[in-house]
Amino acid sequence: MSKRRQAQRPSRRTRQPSGLDVATWRRRIESLLTQDKSREAVEAAKQCLKECPGVEAEELAIQAYTARILSLQAHGMHQEAQALGSIVRERFPAYQSQFALLLQPSGLATGDVEALLTELATAEPARQRELERRLASTLTDPAMVAHTAVLPDAHPLKGMARAVSEMFTAVTSGPLPAGALVALDAIPRQSLFAPWKLLIRALDAFYRHDDAAVLANLERIPAETVPARLAPALRRLMPPDDSPAVPVPAVAALIEQVGGPRSLVRTQLAQLTQALTARDGRKALAAVRSMLPSFQSAPAALRRTFLASLFHLWYRYNLSPEQLLKLLPSGHSDPDILRLIALTLEHLEWAFALQAWDRYLTSATATGQLASTGPEIARVLLHMAQLFPPDREAVLDTLELDSEQQLHRQIRSGRLPACFDRPALLERARAADPVAQVFRALVAHYEQWGDPKRAEAEAEAWHRAHPQDLEPVLYVLRATERRGAIRKALNCLAEAIDRVHPEVRQSRFRLLLAGAERRIKEGKLALALDDLRRLEQETRASEGDYPAYLLALRWLAALPGSDMAVPQAEAFANGVANPVLQSLILEALGATLKVAIPPLPKANPSHEQVLDGLARACTLFRALDRPLPVPAALLKRAEQHLEQASTAQLHALCTGGLWLERPALTYHAAGHGLGRTDPLGYRFLLARGQALAACQAYEAQDRARSCLRAARELASRARDMEAVRDASTALDTFEGLDMFRAMFGRPLEPDTEASMSQEEIAQIIAQERSRRGTPQFPATAARRKTRRTARRRPGFGLPDELFEDLFSFMPFERPF
Amino acid sequence: MDPFAVLGLDENADDEAVRAAYLHALRLAPPDRDPEGFRRIREAYEALRDVESRLTLRLFGPAPLNDLNELLEAFPAERHYVGPGPWLQALQGRSR
Repeated sequence: MSKRRQAQRPSRRTRQPSGLDVATWRRRIESLLTQDKSREAVEAAKQCLKECPGVEAEELAIQAYTARILSLQAHGMHQEAQALGSIVRERFPAYQSQFALLLQPSGLATGDVEALLTELATAEPARQRELERRLASTLTDPAMVAHTAVLPDAHPLKGMARAVSEMFTAVTSGPLPAGALVALDAIPRQSLFAPWKLLIRALDAFYRHDDAAVLANLERIPAETVPARLAPALRRLMPPDDSPAVPVPAVAALIEQVGGPRSLVRTQLAQLTQALTARDGRKALAAVRSMLPSFQSAPAALRRTFLASLFHLWYRYNLSPEQLLKLLPSGHSDPDILRLIALTLEHLEWAFALQAWDRYLTSATATGQLASTGPEIARVLLHMAQLFPPDREAVLDTLELDSEQQLHRQIRSGRLPACFDRPALLERARAADPVAQVFRALVAHYEQWGDPKRAEAEAEAWHRAHPQDLEPVLYVLRATERRGAIRKALNCLAEAIDRVHPEVRQSRFRLLLAGAERRIKEGKLALALDDLRRLEQETRASEGDYPAYLLALRWLAALPGSDMAVPQAEAFANGVANPVLQSLILEALGATLKVAIPPLPKANPSHEQVLDGLARACTLFRALDRPLPVPAALLKRAEQHLEQASTAQLHALCTGGLWLERPALTYHAAGHGLGRTDPLGYRFLLARGQALAACQAYEAQDRARSCLRAARELASRARDMEAVRDASTALDTFEGLDMFRAMFGRPLEPDTEASMSQEEIAQIIAQERSRRGTPQFPATAARRKTRRTARRRPGFGLPDELFEDLFSFMPFERPF
Repeated sequence: MDPFAVLGLDENADDEAVRAAYLHALRLAPPDRDPEGFRRIREAYEALRDVESRLTLRLFGPAPLNDLNELLEAFPAERHYVGPGPWLQALQGRSR
């Protein structure tokens, strides 16, 4: 409206005289007051006063103003009431005291207690009590009384107000020292500050997390007093904080400041849940908008859980996701959001979910969140493939297609996204990470979708990629059996059996070998050659010195004087370059198989060849579990030149010596080994102990025990449990002798189970290294067996020397 | 709820870190004294114990909640000292 027209328009305030008399005005004003229209009543009273000034009009005006002020106070508009009251008091000075009394509650509410306290200071006791009751229900800050100039400093109310105000500040600002609340004990129960005392105690208990004490104090605060207004807020700040009521803004602000974001989030979650349940998209969006700041600053995992749950519920209640995505800071461009959407859509329709995952893949690889190859992308592709219904027809039905050919045509032409090509997804997964899981899915796919040939090919590819896996072998076995390829199926079966346990492969090798040897012994040389040909197909046939053994067998199986004999002899000689090894193998086979050994060219082996040949022969024949006769001269020569042996040869000779029941060989080889630096040096100590255990002398036994204990300690530290077991087994044989040692004044040896210190171990090794002599080892096994039989005496089975010592001081003759 | 948060781990933790965090958490919440806490720790450990589990969680988790109030678990109840002002404002019915 233009200013000109506004000026022409008559003002509302400028009213024409009504010509009504006072009585008519009275009736009108009283009617308005009855209808609770205090504002209109005031306007009418002002008009009446202007038109009919006088006492009656003045009284009507006072009546209207009083009603208006009361109305404002009832609505909590105390400042407005005070402003109106000050105008009225100025306009009608005769009614000052009346309006002063009327405006007292507004004064208290806005902090003006002066008037009330002024009256209280001089009031009669009954009136004082009434005024204190009013103060109790209106005083919102004890500091108002504590700092008033109306009351003298010595006034008890002022003292109590000061104590309460200071304590309230202290309890809300930090932990109170012990006994701090004693200052409030002087406040009597009937005092207007007693509720404040209870509130302060409740707050103290709140910050000490003593929720029971909080509730106990809150329950004692009278409901009509001001401190009782904080009870709901305090209850909401303590568990279980599940009140559904939405607090007023001031209380909500307090709860948020004191309790942290939890209460605010709880209210927001309740609002969101309510809106979702009611399918009210607008309110739900508003709730999400209000909650986002709390979750944006939360840890990533919590944020993801919130978003995943939100999407899930959003789709469940059929709300449109577009507006929701617009609210999210990163929206469509965040791969993680796309991933959560894809996960949500899986509950609805597989085709939608598949496309969502495809969008995620594209976005994630473009942003670098997902590598283009590797286990992560492979898992996603596998997951996408698994979204397809297992039934091919169901896939075609969903896409409204008639055949797979049509599906591929549509993909090729771009009418359908490439992600609907399931085998392509799986092949991408295999290219990214060719693990068993992916191969399995590929095989299952082709199997399900009627392409067994392709499935078998994938299984074979799986086998090539993971030769240790049994599953593809079994699949190919079943597939070949189904299509009648029996020979291939048998090969698969054999391979499958092999993979069950390595012992299976070893057993087959041994059985075949035993078969070949028996046939040679029986003179069935052609059959023996067949067995040897099969043996040579075994993996083990190329390990270690097995080829040498097989060459020897082949030579023996070649008919003497036949065309094959010479080439076989040459092959043997060339294949086993060491003449000592040749001789040992042939001699052993000759003795075992009772066949004539072809003559070998005379050789003069070097010390190195002796040590090498003997070490290799021991290792080979131990593995074959075949006896190995070794000439004594060869053994002696080896023992005399052990310093020329390598560490590996020393290890082999240590083990071989015990196996050959030649502890002297082991003893010497271990001695040389102890002088070397070897991570497996404890095995030399073990061998030394095992060799010494064969001696009968006490000193040798003591040394054996020490070596074995030290070896066990070192083996334990090196986690060589096999060596620990061997040492423990050897130590167990010593226990029975301890008792008899004690009889001769020799102290019992320390418990063989106790661990040894590094110093003790080093001392034992040094002692063994410095030993020069050779202990007296027992005779060969054959003689020992005889001694064992002859020594069968009742009771103990102890060494002879011990019995001699036992009975040397006894006066009677030995009974046996 | 979030296994990484339960064990106090970063999302890039490896097998060794997961195991160490699990053992540390067990010492603080042994099964005989805190069965519920032990259950949560055990569930978190099972979800994170190897590369494959962590990969699965990262790519296909987290599981959505049917009740959004479960999210409140991540917002612990706090009790801050804020001085007398906010308390008095609440009494007076005034916001900041």
